[in-house]
Amino acid sequence: MEQPIVQLQQVTKRIGKKTIIDNLTLDLPLGEVFGFLGPNGSGKTTTIRMMVGLMAMTSGEIKIGGYSIRSQYQQAIRNVGAIVENPEMYKYLTGYQNLVHFARMIEGVTPERIQEVIALVGLEARIHDKVKTYSLGMRQRLGVAQAILHRPKLLILDEPTNGLDPAGIRELRDYLRQLSKDEGIAVFVSSHLLSEMELMCDRVAIIQNGKLIDVRTIQEAGLDVDSNVHMLFEVDKPADALAVAAELGKDALREGDSLVIEANREFAADFNARLVSAGIKVYGIRVQTKSLEDQFLEVTGGERIV
Amino acid sequence: MFNFLKLVQNENMKIYRRPRTYVMLGILLALIAAISIIGYFVDQNHDTSAWNMIITEVMIAYMLITVFTIIIASSGVADEFTSGTIKLLLIRPWTRSKVLLSKYIAVLLYALGMVVVMLVFTIILNIILFGYGDESASEIVSPLVSGSMAAYLLKYSFLKYVSLVVTTTLAFMLATVSRSGALAIGLSLFLILGVNSFSPLLAALKYKWADYILFIHLDLTQYLNNTPMRDGMTLGFSVLVLAVYYAVFVGLAWYVFKKRDVAA
Repeated sequence: MEQPIVQLQQVTKRIGKKTIIDNLTLDLPLGEVFGFLGPNGSGKTTTIRMMVGLMAMTSGEIKIGGYSIRSQYQQAIRNVGAIVENPEMYKYLTGYQNLVHFARMIEGVTPERIQEVIALVGLEARIHDKVKTYSLGMRQRLGVAQAILHRPKLLILDEPTNGLDPAGIRELRDYLRQLSKDEGIAVFVSSHLLSEMELMCDRVAIIQNGKLIDVRTIQEAGLDVDSNVHMLFEVDKPADALAVAAELGKDALREGDSLVIEANREFAADFNARLVSAGIKVYGIRVQTKSLEDQFLEVTGGERIV
Repeated sequence: MFNFLKLVQNENMKIYRRPRTYVMLGILLALIAAISIIGYFVDQNHDTSAWNMIITEVMIAYMLITVFTIIIASSGVADEFTSGTIKLLLIRPWTRSKVLLSKYIAVLLYALGMVVVMLVFTIILNIILFGYGDESASEIVSPLVSGSMAAYLLKYSFLKYVSLVVTTTLAFMLATVSRSGALAIGLSLFLILGVNSFSPLLAALKYKWADYILFIHLDLTQYLNNTPMRDGMTLGFSVLVLAVYYAVFVGLAWYVFKKRDVAA
């Protein structure tokens, strides 16, 4: 098997007596979009800062492309493109000047490559305007542009969809997928938005209070159409509806004016017909999926952050 | 190794792409021009020497350049922290030392550029207004000085530039350590303009340790006309004291910049 592009080995960060990151071990292979999920203050950004050498580790080791971020910083960081927190650029420079600035710092970025990247993130029209006139979404695009200028093997994006509109989020998502599949690079994305992670990532690591709690492959969470799910029926006479359910031999749960029943699609349709013929008005039928959010809260123990 | 000059070029871009840099230059040149023009109209008999005006204006201009360079030096480092761009700047295949060095060099170049522009402007403007005179330095400055005025001005400017470098390094260090432009600018200006104006008082202290106070050595032009602030002080000693302070400022700035966790 190919060597993982990033290896975090027992990474620990302590500030004073507080342990921010506790013994984090994680490998990222090339060609994967990897999500880093955790509530606010769980240590996502701290981990990213250590991965790019902005913060020192208390103990442990991070290797990127086989090079230690501590002792072989320049070789290690050459493989990395990143946005840490917000995409802060020089506001008094134009978007283009910002890109030129970062291009000068890395060998081999040609003016053609800069143009290519500008087209890729869709900033052609505004690239020669000052960054202070940019919207948050445009800054985010510029941030992505500076991160991919030098064709890094590892792209680290901290909350990349912040400030993007739905179209922009979709675009970014497709682009990141394409980058990981076609160019085989590893994309490391942090977020506290679960729904977004589900759409974007191949695997997700869940972190809480600086500890790695779980690593999940996203496809596993996909829903099967024929499986039993919780269906919610909104009716006018819940007591009568409960009796109908009992006739069909199903246990139903009353939730206010609604009924929750564990069933598949076929049963839901039949049950609806019975309700209607029994003179009960059905206002709505919904699948009550266990949301990612619930799953997430389950995994993290639903603990409050503050 | 990939071209380090490109880093300096980047830092230069960040200085010269900002309007404030030109506002400062404009203020400096306007002030010089104002003094010369007022002098021209006051001087009814046209017996003022151009050198007189030049030396006065250069003295004032150096003060203003010091203020501006403190601003550029402090904000050059601190703005990266306050705006958060430091994170993008540091995650490149360059050591932190070299990134800081490129900033430092750009600031010193800025100071040098301001001095050269100021000198050229002052000399040309005053020669146009008052005509060229070839008085010697002993006539214009003080009987204790010898040689031509041009040579005196050159020596004066060089010694002032040395002070400017030390002052700039102090501001640069304060900005690197505090990461706050306002604090670094405020503190540097207070030290340089405030405390420095008490330096004759400090120089009058009878204690031995007063020999090592930065402020009594900062202005090396005191040796040009042989009027050191403290008896027995020599140029060599002053340069040595300045060098030690300079090394401390540089050491502190680089040490802190290299070690610090960037969490801005």
